[in-house]
Amino acid sequence: MARLSGLQREVLKLYRNCIRTIKTKPIDTQDHWRQFIREEFKKNQHISKKQFNVIEHLIRVGHRRFEQYSSTQIKDIH
Amino acid sequence: MFRSILRQSRAFNGTTTRNLATATTTSVTPRIKTFKIYRWNPDTPEVEPKMQSYDIDLNHCGPMVLDAILKIKNEQDSTLTFRRSCREGICGSCAMNIGGRNTLACLCRIETDTAKETKIYPLPHMFVVRDLVPDLTHFYKQYKSIQPYLQTENHPADGRENLQSIEDRAKLDGLYECILCACCSTSCPSYWWNQQEYLGPAVLMQAYRWLIDSRDQASRVRKEMLQNSMSLYRCHTIMNCARTCPKGLNPGKAIAEIKKQLAFD
Amino acid sequence: MLSLTSRVGLARTSLPIRSSIPLLIRGIKTIPQPPGYIVGTVNDAYVPPKAHKLEGSYHWTSERLVALGLAPLTLAPLLGGTSTLLDSTLSVLVLYHSYTGFQSCIIDYIPKRVYGSLHNYAMYLLTFGTGVAGYGLYKIETSEEGGVSGIVKKIYTA
Repeated sequence: MARLSGLQREVLKLYRNCIRTIKTKPIDTQDHWRQFIREEFKKNQHISKKQFNVIEHLIRVGHRRFEQYSSTQIKDIH
Repeated sequence: MFRSILRQSRAFNGTTTRNLATATTTSVTPRIKTFKIYRWNPDTPEVEPKMQSYDIDLNHCGPMVLDAILKIKNEQDSTLTFRRSCREGICGSCAMNIGGRNTLACLCRIETDTAKETKIYPLPHMFVVRDLVPDLTHFYKQYKSIQPYLQTENHPADGRENLQSIEDRAKLDGLYECILCACCSTSCPSYWWNQQEYLGPAVLMQAYRWLIDSRDQASRVRKEMLQNSMSLYRCHTIMNCARTCPKGLNPGKAIAEIKKQLAFD
Repeated sequence: MLSLTSRVGLARTSLPIRSSIPLLIRGIKTIPQPPGYIVGTVNDAYVPPKAHKLEGSYHWTSERLVALGLAPLTLAPLLGGTSTLLDSTLSVLVLYHSYTGFQSCIIDYIPKRVYGSLHNYAMYLLTFGTGVAGYGLYKIETSEEGGVSGIVKKIYTA
Protein backbone atom coordinates (compact mmCIF):
# COMPACT_ATOMS: atom_id res chain seq x y z
CA MET A 1 0.00 0.00 0.00
CA ALA A 2 1.23 3.47 -0.89
CA ARG A 3 2.51 5.71 1.86
CA LEU A 4 -0.35 7.90 3.00
CA SER A 5 -0.09 11.61 3.50
CA GLY A 6 -0.96 13.17 6.85
CA LEU A 7 -4.28 14.33 5.52
CA GLN A 8 -5.21 10.92 4.18
CA ARG A 9 -4.41 9.41 7.55
CA GLU A 10 -6.65 12.00 9.20
CA VAL A 11 -9.52 10.94 6.95
CA LEU A 12 -8.91 7.29 7.68
CA LYS A 13 -8.78 8.01 11.40
CA LEU A 14 -12.13 9.74 11.23
CA TYR A 15 -13.63 6.88 9.22
CA ARG A 16 -12.35 4.28 11.66
CA ASN A 17 -13.66 6.27 14.61
CA CYS A 18 -17.06 6.45 12.97
CA ILE A 19 -17.14 2.73 12.23
CA ARG A 20 -16.02 1.86 15.76
CA THR A 21 -18.73 3.99 17.29
CA ILE A 22 -21.37 1.87 15.55
CA LYS A 23 -20.91 -0.69 18.34
CA THR A 24 -22.39 1.76 20.85
CA LYS A 25 -25.67 1.86 18.91
CA PRO A 26 -28.55 -0.64 19.33
CA ILE A 27 -27.88 -3.87 17.42
CA ASP A 28 -30.86 -3.66 15.08
CA THR A 29 -29.87 -0.19 13.84
CA GLN A 30 -26.18 -0.89 13.32
CA ASP A 31 -26.65 -1.73 9.65
CA HIS A 32 -28.30 1.62 9.07
CA TRP A 33 -25.36 3.38 10.64
CA ARG A 34 -22.80 1.46 8.63
CA GLN A 35 -24.62 2.25 5.42
CA PHE A 36 -25.01 5.90 6.37
CA ILE A 37 -21.32 6.36 7.18
CA ARG A 38 -20.24 4.69 3.96
CA GLU A 39 -22.59 6.83 1.90
CA GLU A 40 -21.42 10.03 3.56
CA PHE A 41 -17.77 9.22 2.87
CA LYS A 42 -18.54 8.06 -0.68
CA LYS A 43 -20.23 11.38 -1.43
CA ASN A 44 -16.89 13.18 -1.34
CA GLN A 45 -14.73 10.44 -2.75
CA HIS A 46 -14.35 12.28 -6.06
CA ILE A 47 -12.43 15.15 -4.47
CA SER A 48 -8.83 15.29 -5.61
CA LYS A 49 -6.25 14.55 -2.93
CA LYS A 50 -4.51 17.81 -3.73
CA GLN A 51 -7.44 19.96 -2.65
CA PHE A 52 -6.15 20.34 0.89
CA ASN A 53 -8.50 23.14 1.88
CA VAL A 54 -11.54 21.18 0.85
CA ILE A 55 -10.46 17.99 2.59
CA GLU A 56 -9.58 19.85 5.75
CA HIS A 57 -12.98 21.50 5.70
CA LEU A 58 -14.68 18.14 5.24
CA ILE A 59 -12.68 16.68 8.12
CA ARG A 60 -13.78 19.58 10.35
CA VAL A 61 -17.40 19.09 9.39
CA GLY A 62 -17.03 15.35 9.76
CA HIS A 63 -15.70 15.65 13.29
CA ARG A 64 -18.52 17.97 14.23
CA ARG A 65 -21.15 15.58 12.88
CA PHE A 66 -19.39 12.59 14.41
CA GLU A 67 -19.55 14.24 17.81
CA GLN A 68 -23.21 15.02 17.31
CA TYR A 69 -24.22 11.56 16.11
CA SER A 70 -22.13 9.65 18.65
CA SER A 71 -24.39 10.85 21.44
CA THR A 72 -26.10 7.84 23.01
CA GLN A 73 -29.45 9.58 22.73
CA ILE A 74 -29.37 9.19 18.96
CA LYS A 75 -30.32 5.58 18.30
CA ASP A 76 -31.17 5.22 14.64
CA ILE A 77 -30.58 6.84 11.31
CA HIS A 78 -32.28 6.51 7.95
CA MET B 1 -67.55 69.13 10.33
CA PHE B 2 -67.91 69.32 6.59
CA ARG B 3 -64.87 71.52 6.37
CA SER B 4 -62.77 69.11 8.33
CA ILE B 5 -63.64 66.30 5.93
CA LEU B 6 -62.66 68.56 3.08
CA ARG B 7 -59.38 69.32 4.75
CA GLN B 8 -58.74 65.67 5.27
CA SER B 9 -59.38 64.82 1.68
CA ARG B 10 -57.16 67.69 0.61
CA ALA B 11 -54.49 66.47 2.94
CA PHE B 12 -54.87 63.02 1.50
CA ASN B 13 -54.53 64.36 -2.01
CA GLY B 14 -51.51 66.31 -0.95
CA THR B 15 -49.70 63.25 0.35
CA THR B 16 -50.40 61.21 -2.76
CA THR B 17 -48.99 63.86 -5.02
CA ARG B 18 -45.95 64.22 -2.80
CA ASN B 19 -45.36 60.49 -2.94
CA LEU B 20 -45.56 60.61 -6.69
CA ALA B 21 -43.16 63.52 -6.76
CA THR B 22 -40.52 61.68 -4.73
CA ALA B 23 -40.95 58.62 -6.88
CA THR B 24 -40.27 60.61 -10.01
CA THR B 25 -37.20 62.39 -8.61
CA THR B 26 -35.60 59.14 -7.43
CA SER B 27 -36.14 57.45 -10.76
CA VAL B 28 -34.22 60.31 -12.36
CA THR B 29 -30.98 59.86 -10.44
CA PRO B 30 -30.48 56.31 -9.26
CA ARG B 31 -27.39 55.92 -7.07
CA ILE B 32 -26.18 52.49 -8.02
CA LYS B 33 -23.62 51.13 -5.62
CA THR B 34 -21.76 47.89 -6.20
CA PHE B 35 -21.21 45.46 -3.34
CA LYS B 36 -18.72 42.65 -3.73
CA ILE B 37 -19.46 39.86 -1.34
CA TYR B 38 -17.46 36.75 -0.49
CA ARG B 39 -19.32 33.62 -1.50
CA TRP B 40 -18.48 30.05 -0.64
CA ASN B 41 -20.86 27.15 -0.51
CA PRO B 42 -20.04 24.14 1.69
CA ASP B 43 -22.39 21.93 -0.35
CA THR B 44 -19.93 22.16 -3.24
CA PRO B 45 -16.68 22.43 -1.30
CA GLU B 46 -14.50 21.76 -4.34
CA VAL B 47 -15.61 25.06 -5.92
CA GLU B 48 -13.23 27.86 -4.98
CA PRO B 49 -14.63 30.79 -3.00
CA LYS B 50 -15.39 33.82 -5.17
CA MET B 51 -16.43 37.46 -4.94
CA GLN B 52 -19.91 38.11 -6.26
CA SER B 53 -21.07 41.58 -7.30
CA TYR B 54 -24.47 43.00 -6.46
CA ASP B 55 -25.79 46.38 -7.60
CA ILE B 56 -28.05 48.30 -5.28
CA ASP B 57 -29.84 51.60 -5.71
CA LEU B 58 -29.04 53.51 -2.52
CA ASN B 59 -32.24 55.57 -2.89
CA HIS B 60 -34.25 52.47 -2.08
CA CYS B 61 -32.02 51.17 0.65
CA GLY B 62 -31.45 51.94 4.32
CA PRO B 63 -28.25 53.70 5.39
CA MET B 64 -26.39 50.76 6.92
CA VAL B 65 -24.50 47.93 5.26
CA LEU B 66 -26.80 45.42 6.94
CA ASP B 67 -29.77 47.05 5.17
CA ALA B 68 -28.00 46.57 1.86
CA ILE B 69 -27.18 42.92 2.56
CA LEU B 70 -30.74 42.23 3.66
CA LYS B 71 -31.98 43.92 0.48
CA ILE B 72 -29.75 41.71 -1.59
CA LYS B 73 -30.99 38.62 0.24
CA ASN B 74 -34.64 39.68 -0.13
CA GLU B 75 -34.59 40.79 -3.72
CA GLN B 76 -31.59 39.47 -5.60
CA ASP B 77 -30.05 36.35 -4.12
CA SER B 78 -31.74 34.43 -1.35
CA THR B 79 -28.80 32.05 -1.01
CA LEU B 80 -26.57 34.76 0.47
CA THR B 81 -25.85 33.64 4.03
CA PHE B 82 -24.93 35.79 7.03
CA ARG B 83 -25.72 36.11 10.71
CA ARG B 84 -27.90 38.96 11.91
CA SER B 85 -30.29 39.50 14.72
CA CYS B 86 -30.90 42.82 16.47
CA ARG B 87 -29.93 45.22 13.62
CA GLU B 88 -28.88 47.84 16.19
CA GLY B 89 -25.44 46.80 17.42
CA ILE B 90 -26.30 45.00 20.63
CA CYS B 91 -26.20 41.32 19.65
CA GLY B 92 -22.87 41.13 17.84
CA SER B 93 -24.12 38.64 15.27
CA CYS B 94 -23.40 40.58 12.09
CA ALA B 95 -19.66 41.05 12.63
CA MET B 96 -17.89 40.95 9.27
CA ASN B 97 -15.04 42.54 7.39
CA ILE B 98 -16.44 45.53 5.50
CA GLY B 99 -14.08 47.56 3.34
CA GLY B 100 -11.08 46.03 5.07
CA ARG B 101 -12.26 46.73 8.60
CA ASN B 102 -13.87 44.36 11.05
CA THR B 103 -17.11 45.86 12.19
CA LEU B 104 -20.78 45.20 12.72
CA ALA B 105 -22.74 45.49 9.48
CA CYS B 106 -25.61 47.10 11.36
CA LEU B 107 -23.40 49.90 12.72
CA CYS B 108 -21.45 50.53 9.52
CA ARG B 109 -22.78 53.20 7.16
CA ILE B 110 -22.72 52.52 3.46
CA GLU B 111 -20.10 54.69 1.86
CA THR B 112 -22.22 56.99 -0.36
CA ASP B 113 -19.51 57.36 -2.99
CA THR B 114 -21.06 55.17 -5.68
CA ALA B 115 -17.88 55.14 -7.77
CA LYS B 116 -16.22 52.90 -5.21
CA GLU B 117 -17.37 49.38 -4.58
CA THR B 118 -17.69 48.01 -1.07
CA LYS B 119 -16.10 44.65 -0.41
CA ILE B 120 -17.50 42.41 2.28
CA TYR B 121 -15.65 39.40 3.67
CA PRO B 122 -16.26 37.16 6.66
CA LEU B 123 -14.12 37.79 9.76
CA PRO B 124 -10.49 37.20 8.77
CA HIS B 125 -8.57 34.08 9.78
CA MET B 126 -11.58 32.17 10.97
CA PHE B 127 -12.84 28.96 9.45
CA VAL B 128 -15.72 29.77 7.16
CA VAL B 129 -18.97 27.89 7.60
CA ARG B 130 -20.64 29.49 4.61
CA ASP B 131 -20.47 32.87 2.81
CA LEU B 132 -20.15 35.45 5.61
CA VAL B 133 -20.59 33.05 8.52
CA PRO B 134 -17.39 32.28 10.45
CA ASP B 135 -16.94 29.36 12.83
CA LEU B 136 -16.70 30.89 16.32
CA THR B 137 -16.64 27.60 18.25
CA HIS B 138 -13.04 27.96 19.39
CA PHE B 139 -13.62 31.59 20.35
CA TYR B 140 -16.51 30.58 22.59
CA LYS B 141 -14.49 27.71 24.05
CA GLN B 142 -11.81 30.21 24.99
CA TYR B 143 -14.42 32.49 26.52
CA LYS B 144 -15.68 29.57 28.58
CA SER B 145 -12.16 28.84 29.82
CA ILE B 146 -11.87 32.16 31.68
CA GLN B 147 -14.96 31.26 33.75
CA PRO B 148 -17.01 34.34 32.97
CA TYR B 149 -19.26 34.20 36.02
CA LEU B 150 -19.21 35.44 39.59
CA GLN B 151 -17.34 33.16 41.98
CA THR B 152 -17.71 34.04 45.62
CA GLU B 153 -17.79 32.35 49.01
CA ASN B 154 -19.71 35.04 50.88
CA HIS B 155 -23.34 35.11 50.06
CA PRO B 156 -25.38 38.10 51.11
CA ALA B 157 -27.18 37.64 54.43
CA ASP B 158 -30.60 38.41 53.05
CA GLY B 159 -30.15 35.85 50.28
CA ARG B 160 -30.61 38.43 47.56
CA GLU B 161 -28.24 40.34 45.34
CA ASN B 162 -24.46 40.64 45.67
CA LEU B 163 -24.18 44.40 46.11
CA GLN B 164 -21.18 46.56 45.33
CA SER B 165 -20.41 50.24 45.83
CA ILE B 166 -20.93 52.78 43.06
CA GLU B 167 -17.16 53.27 42.74
CA ASP B 168 -16.57 49.53 42.34
CA ARG B 169 -19.33 49.34 39.77
CA ALA B 170 -17.78 52.25 37.85
CA LYS B 171 -14.63 50.16 37.33
CA LEU B 172 -16.60 47.83 35.09
CA ASP B 173 -17.60 50.61 32.70
CA GLY B 174 -15.90 50.17 29.37
CA LEU B 175 -15.62 46.42 29.98
CA TYR B 176 -19.11 45.07 30.51
CA GLU B 177 -20.40 46.62 27.27
CA CYS B 178 -18.51 44.06 25.21
CA ILE B 179 -20.91 42.01 23.10
CA LEU B 180 -18.36 39.35 22.07
CA CYS B 181 -18.71 40.02 18.35
CA ALA B 182 -15.09 38.83 17.86
CA CYS B 183 -14.22 41.87 15.73
CA CYS B 184 -11.20 42.69 17.90
CA SER B 185 -9.88 39.15 18.25
CA THR B 186 -10.02 38.53 14.52
CA SER B 187 -8.26 41.82 13.77
CA CYS B 188 -5.30 40.93 15.99
CA PRO B 189 -2.26 39.56 14.10
CA SER B 190 -1.14 37.71 17.21
CA TYR B 191 -4.51 35.98 17.30
CA TRP B 192 -4.16 35.11 13.62
CA TRP B 193 -0.86 33.31 14.17
CA ASN B 194 -1.56 31.73 17.54
CA GLN B 195 -5.31 31.50 17.69
CA GLN B 196 -5.21 28.10 19.27
CA GLU B 197 -3.40 29.17 22.43
CA TYR B 198 -3.57 32.96 22.64
CA LEU B 199 -6.91 33.98 24.11
CA GLY B 200 -7.34 37.15 22.07
CA PRO B 201 -8.40 40.66 23.09
CA ALA B 202 -12.14 40.05 23.51
CA VAL B 203 -11.69 37.13 25.89
CA LEU B 204 -8.84 38.80 27.80
CA MET B 205 -10.94 41.91 28.30
CA GLN B 206 -13.62 39.76 29.87
CA ALA B 207 -10.96 38.06 31.98
CA TYR B 208 -10.02 41.52 33.25
CA ARG B 209 -13.67 42.38 33.81
CA TRP B 210 -13.93 39.46 36.24
CA LEU B 211 -10.51 40.11 37.79
CA ILE B 212 -11.45 43.59 38.96
CA ASP B 213 -14.98 42.79 40.00
CA SER B 214 -15.06 43.68 43.71
CA ARG B 215 -17.45 40.82 44.48
CA ASP B 216 -15.39 38.11 42.81
CA GLN B 217 -13.05 36.05 44.99
CA ALA B 218 -11.46 33.71 42.46
CA SER B 219 -8.86 36.18 41.18
CA ARG B 220 -5.99 33.91 42.27
CA VAL B 221 -7.22 31.13 39.99
CA ARG B 222 -8.00 33.60 37.24
CA LYS B 223 -4.47 35.03 37.34
CA GLU B 224 -2.93 31.59 37.53
CA MET B 225 -4.64 30.69 34.25
CA LEU B 226 -2.87 33.52 32.42
CA GLN B 227 0.59 32.79 33.84
CA ASN B 228 2.15 31.26 30.75
CA SER B 229 3.78 32.50 27.61
CA MET B 230 0.79 31.90 25.34
CA SER B 231 -2.55 32.83 26.93
CA LEU B 232 -1.87 36.48 27.71
CA TYR B 233 1.67 37.43 26.76
CA ARG B 234 1.22 36.95 23.01
CA CYS B 235 -0.32 40.43 23.12
CA HIS B 236 2.29 42.77 21.64
CA THR B 237 0.18 45.92 22.09
CA ILE B 238 -0.59 46.15 18.37
CA MET B 239 -3.86 47.91 19.32
CA ASN B 240 -5.82 46.80 16.26
CA CYS B 241 -8.43 45.72 18.78
CA ALA B 242 -9.12 49.22 20.09
CA ARG B 243 -9.10 50.64 16.58
CA THR B 244 -11.64 48.19 15.19
CA CYS B 245 -14.03 47.80 18.14
CA PRO B 246 -17.51 48.75 16.87
CA LYS B 247 -18.56 49.58 20.42
CA GLY B 248 -15.63 51.93 21.02
CA LEU B 249 -14.08 49.87 23.81
CA ASN B 250 -10.38 49.43 24.46
CA PRO B 251 -9.34 45.79 24.95
CA GLY B 252 -5.67 46.75 24.59
CA LYS B 253 -5.85 48.84 27.74
CA ALA B 254 -7.58 46.03 29.63
CA ILE B 255 -4.82 43.62 28.62
CA ALA B 256 -2.18 46.13 29.75
CA GLU B 257 -3.96 46.35 33.11
CA ILE B 258 -3.89 42.56 33.47
CA LYS B 259 -0.17 42.55 32.70
CA LYS B 260 0.33 45.22 35.34
CA GLN B 261 -1.65 43.25 37.91
CA LEU B 262 0.33 40.09 37.15
CA ALA B 263 3.63 41.98 37.37
CA PHE B 264 2.82 43.12 40.91
CA ASP B 265 1.30 39.79 41.85
CA MET C 1 -0.31 19.70 6.55
CA LEU C 2 0.70 23.23 5.74
CA SER C 3 -1.34 24.92 8.40
CA LEU C 4 -1.19 28.38 6.83
CA THR C 5 -2.86 27.30 3.62
CA SER C 6 -5.41 25.27 5.50
CA ARG C 7 -7.88 28.07 6.05
CA VAL C 8 -10.48 28.55 3.44
CA GLY C 9 -9.30 31.91 2.22
CA LEU C 10 -10.32 33.89 -0.81
CA ALA C 11 -9.34 32.10 -3.97
CA ARG C 12 -6.28 30.71 -2.31
CA THR C 13 -5.23 28.03 -4.71
CA SER C 14 -3.36 25.22 -3.10
CA LEU C 15 0.25 25.57 -4.19
CA PRO C 16 1.62 22.40 -5.70
CA ILE C 17 4.90 21.51 -4.01
CA ARG C 18 7.46 22.04 -6.72
CA SER C 19 10.88 20.50 -6.77
CA SER C 20 12.36 23.99 -7.01
CA ILE C 21 11.64 24.52 -3.33
CA PRO C 22 14.79 23.61 -1.43
CA LEU C 23 14.86 20.27 0.24
CA LEU C 24 15.30 21.88 3.67
CA ILE C 25 11.97 23.69 3.48
CA ARG C 26 10.18 20.73 1.93
CA GLY C 27 11.59 18.55 4.66
CA ILE C 28 9.98 20.57 7.47
CA LYS C 29 7.16 18.52 8.88
CA THR C 30 4.54 20.40 10.82
CA ILE C 31 2.41 18.79 13.47
CA PRO C 32 -1.19 18.37 12.28
CA GLN C 33 -3.59 20.49 14.30
CA PRO C 34 -6.93 19.28 15.63
CA PRO C 35 -9.72 19.99 13.13
CA GLY C 36 -11.10 23.48 13.72
CA TYR C 37 -8.65 23.79 16.65
CA ILE C 38 -11.26 22.05 18.74
CA VAL C 39 -9.83 19.80 21.43
CA GLY C 40 -12.43 17.67 23.17
CA THR C 41 -16.07 18.31 22.47
CA VAL C 42 -17.55 21.57 21.26
CA ASN C 43 -18.89 22.39 24.71
CA ASP C 44 -15.69 21.81 26.69
CA ALA C 45 -13.79 24.89 27.77
CA TYR C 46 -10.38 25.49 26.22
CA VAL C 47 -7.59 24.27 28.52
CA PRO C 48 -4.72 26.75 28.84
CA PRO C 49 -1.11 25.60 29.12
CA LYS C 50 0.31 24.98 32.59
CA ALA C 51 1.12 28.04 34.69
CA HIS C 52 4.79 28.94 34.53
CA LYS C 53 5.72 32.24 36.13
CA LEU C 54 9.17 32.39 34.51
CA GLU C 55 7.54 32.30 31.08
CA GLY C 56 4.70 34.51 32.21
CA SER C 57 4.82 37.58 34.38
CA TYR C 58 8.52 37.39 35.41
CA HIS C 59 9.56 37.27 31.78
CA TRP C 60 7.37 40.23 30.89
CA THR C 61 8.44 42.28 33.90
CA SER C 62 12.13 41.69 33.21
CA GLU C 63 11.60 42.76 29.60
CA ARG C 64 10.00 46.04 30.75
CA LEU C 65 12.63 46.72 33.43
CA VAL C 66 15.45 46.21 30.93
CA ALA C 67 13.73 48.46 28.40
CA LEU C 68 13.31 51.12 31.08
CA GLY C 69 16.91 50.77 32.20
CA LEU C 70 18.18 51.12 28.64
CA ALA C 71 16.82 54.66 28.29
CA PRO C 72 19.14 56.44 30.81
CA LEU C 73 22.05 54.16 29.89
CA THR C 74 21.76 55.18 26.22
CA LEU C 75 21.53 58.84 27.13
CA ALA C 76 24.46 58.78 29.56
CA PRO C 77 27.29 58.46 26.99
CA LEU C 78 25.63 61.13 24.85
CA LEU C 79 25.39 63.69 27.65
CA GLY C 80 28.51 62.98 29.65
CA GLY C 81 31.43 60.66 29.41
CA THR C 82 31.24 56.93 29.90
CA SER C 83 33.03 54.35 31.94
CA THR C 84 33.75 50.70 31.28
CA LEU C 85 31.20 49.69 33.90
CA LEU C 86 28.48 51.88 32.40
CA ASP C 87 29.33 50.80 28.90
CA SER C 88 29.38 47.08 29.66
CA THR C 89 26.06 47.35 31.53
CA LEU C 90 24.58 49.04 28.49
CA SER C 91 25.84 46.40 26.09
CA VAL C 92 24.70 43.52 28.27
CA LEU C 93 21.23 45.04 28.60
CA VAL C 94 21.02 45.62 24.84
CA LEU C 95 22.03 42.00 24.35
CA TYR C 96 19.37 40.76 26.76
CA HIS C 97 16.82 43.09 25.18
CA SER C 98 17.43 41.66 21.72
CA TYR C 99 17.49 38.13 23.15
CA THR C 100 14.00 38.47 24.63
CA GLY C 101 12.79 40.19 21.48
CA PHE C 102 13.92 37.35 19.25
CA GLN C 103 12.55 34.89 21.78
CA SER C 104 9.13 36.48 21.35
CA CYS C 105 9.49 36.21 17.57
CA ILE C 106 10.30 32.50 17.85
CA ILE C 107 7.34 31.86 20.17
CA ASP C 108 5.10 33.74 17.73
CA TYR C 109 6.25 32.30 14.44
CA ILE C 110 7.83 28.92 15.27
CA PRO C 111 5.34 27.79 17.91
CA LYS C 112 5.97 24.52 19.63
CA ARG C 113 2.48 23.22 18.93
CA VAL C 114 3.12 23.34 15.16
CA TYR C 115 6.88 22.82 14.80
CA GLY C 116 7.65 20.65 17.83
CA SER C 117 11.38 20.19 18.29
CA LEU C 118 12.20 22.80 15.64
CA HIS C 119 11.00 25.35 18.18
CA ASN C 120 13.62 24.09 20.61
CA TYR C 121 16.35 24.15 17.95
CA ALA C 122 15.48 27.76 17.11
CA MET C 123 15.78 28.61 20.79
CA TYR C 124 19.16 26.83 21.03
CA LEU C 125 20.35 28.71 17.97
CA LEU C 126 19.26 31.99 19.52
CA THR C 127 20.99 31.18 22.79
CA PHE C 128 24.13 30.20 20.91
CA GLY C 129 24.05 33.42 18.90
CA THR C 130 23.55 35.44 22.06
CA GLY C 131 26.49 33.64 23.63
CA VAL C 132 28.73 34.46 20.66
CA ALA C 133 27.58 38.07 20.72
CA GLY C 134 28.23 38.18 24.47
CA TYR C 135 31.77 36.90 23.94
CA GLY C 136 32.27 39.55 21.24
CA LEU C 137 31.08 42.22 23.62
CA TYR C 138 33.49 40.95 26.27
CA LYS C 139 36.32 41.19 23.73
CA ILE C 140 35.33 44.72 22.78
CA GLU C 141 35.08 45.86 26.37
CA THR C 142 38.47 44.44 27.31
CA SER C 143 40.52 45.36 24.25
CA GLU C 144 38.81 48.26 22.48
CA GLU C 145 39.29 51.87 23.58
CA GLY C 146 36.03 53.29 25.00
CA GLY C 147 34.06 50.07 24.57
CA VAL C 148 30.90 49.95 22.46
CA SER C 149 30.10 53.65 22.80
CA GLY C 150 33.66 54.38 21.72
CA ILE C 151 33.13 52.39 18.52
CA VAL C 152 29.82 54.15 17.85
CA LYS C 153 31.55 57.49 18.39
CA LYS C 154 34.31 56.58 15.95
CA ILE C 155 31.81 55.49 13.27
CA TYR C 156 29.74 58.63 13.82
CA THR C 157 32.68 61.02 13.51
CA ALA C 158 34.35 59.14 10.67
